[in-house]
Amino acid sequence: MSTPSGGTAAPRVPTGYQIPSLGYRILVAALRLIPSFLLLIALPIAVLNFASSKGIAIPISTTAVAVGGLALLALGTARYIGKPTRAFGPLSIATSLAAVVYLLYAISRSPYRLVLPGGSATVIAGYSTFLELMLIAPIFGIVAGILTTIEDARSPTERLPFDFPA
Amino acid sequence: MVAPVLPFRSHPPGIYRLARAFRWLSTLVVVVLIIYAGTVVYSAYEVARSSPQSRGFTASFAPNGTVEIGGSFTLSNPGFYPIQSFSLTARITNATGVFLGNLKVGPTVIAPSSTGVFPVAVYLPVTSGSATESLLTEDQYLGLSAWGNATYAYLFPLSVTLSETRSWGAPFEGFTVTVGTPSGGGGGITVPVTISFTNDASFTEVGTLAFVIESSMGAACGSDSFSLNVLPGTLYDQTEPVSLASGCSPAGGQAVSTYTSGGTTIVLPPEAIP
Repeated sequence: MSTPSGGTAAPRVPTGYQIPSLGYRILVAALRLIPSFLLLIALPIAVLNFASSKGIAIPISTTAVAVGGLALLALGTARYIGKPTRAFGPLSIATSLAAVVYLLYAISRSPYRLVLPGGSATVIAGYSTFLELMLIAPIFGIVAGILTTIEDARSPTERLPFDFPA
Repeated sequence: MVAPVLPFRSHPPGIYRLARAFRWLSTLVVVVLIIYAGTVVYSAYEVARSSPQSRGFTASFAPNGTVEIGGSFTLSNPGFYPIQSFSLTARITNATGVFLGNLKVGPTVIAPSSTGVFPVAVYLPVTSGSATESLLTEDQYLGLSAWGNATYAYLFPLSVTLSETRSWGAPFEGFTVTVGTPSGGGGGITVPVTISFTNDASFTEVGTLAFVIESSMGAACGSDSFSLNVLPGTLYDQTEPVSLASGCSPAGGQAVSTYTSGGTTIVLPPEAIP
């Protein structure tokens, strides 16, 4: 790393850690809920309702999207709030597992079969390969959660200075 | 409430760095796939908006006793991703389900920001004596079944099936050969022969329509021909006197007609003579 003067900067070395208060973490988690809610629940349901209102069969029910989205939101929020605690690893695993289940459910609904009004034409679209690629994300999340759980079990406060540098 | 600042080790342990790397990778995968999905949706919308088009389809008589229906199929791909393994197959049957012909396109690749133009041709058999000779003389509805397959943006397989009926206009709709009452004496016997039909096909019939009047034993009693130039949708109705061979009676026989145009010969269904 080069400094403006051309010298080499020393690696940043934290000098302590400072865990945000529970109230602060709840506040931030609540703010994070807004975009997550839009992405996981509001937008998909709006698209599905729009398609349904046009007489287009939808591949997945709005109830399933709402339930799956709420589960992910709840677990994600709990994970964020619990980040300074030993529950962070298990909550990370639970959140990623919920995402895996959600994606597997969506994969089971593939291919999407659309019969056009009048019934003379049918369109079948497969999306399982894309969702299988998407599974990589929660699988990595599970691995990260397992590693964090192991680390917390060995040394409960070891990661705190790096997660919450002062 | 904020916890007190506590001392700690200066370098993250390996297991921490590994967990953090997996979390970052997980986030990276989500971000990349969401951007990819967004561009796929946009591109697919652009492809759907450009909509496939069938252009310039024309029909004409072709060699081997067939009617050729030819044209081109155009599919634009204005999106960011290729349309791979694109193939299209169509199958045509008559009203009773008898297979008439098919056409195939591909498999091929339509690159991004390009347009695929595929010439297509289907040949419908109109040979006299075949199960489908009624295509020559009877308007009818034909069944068209088409199905296409493709893979869009590397990951999304698509298939489309289409089934519909199309009206068929016969080139010799209601074709009849009417043999009148023989007349004449020592100088020869003639019969008036009237040929009538409507050209319900989409093309003009230009050529020669020759016919042979046969007796009930199959002997040729007489023959003649008409020059045709019949526009689509036009009724043709002409009468010609035909000299009969001595001692040959057309009663109980049949009239066999042949249409010739530009080297193509089509034998029409025989007409019984009362």
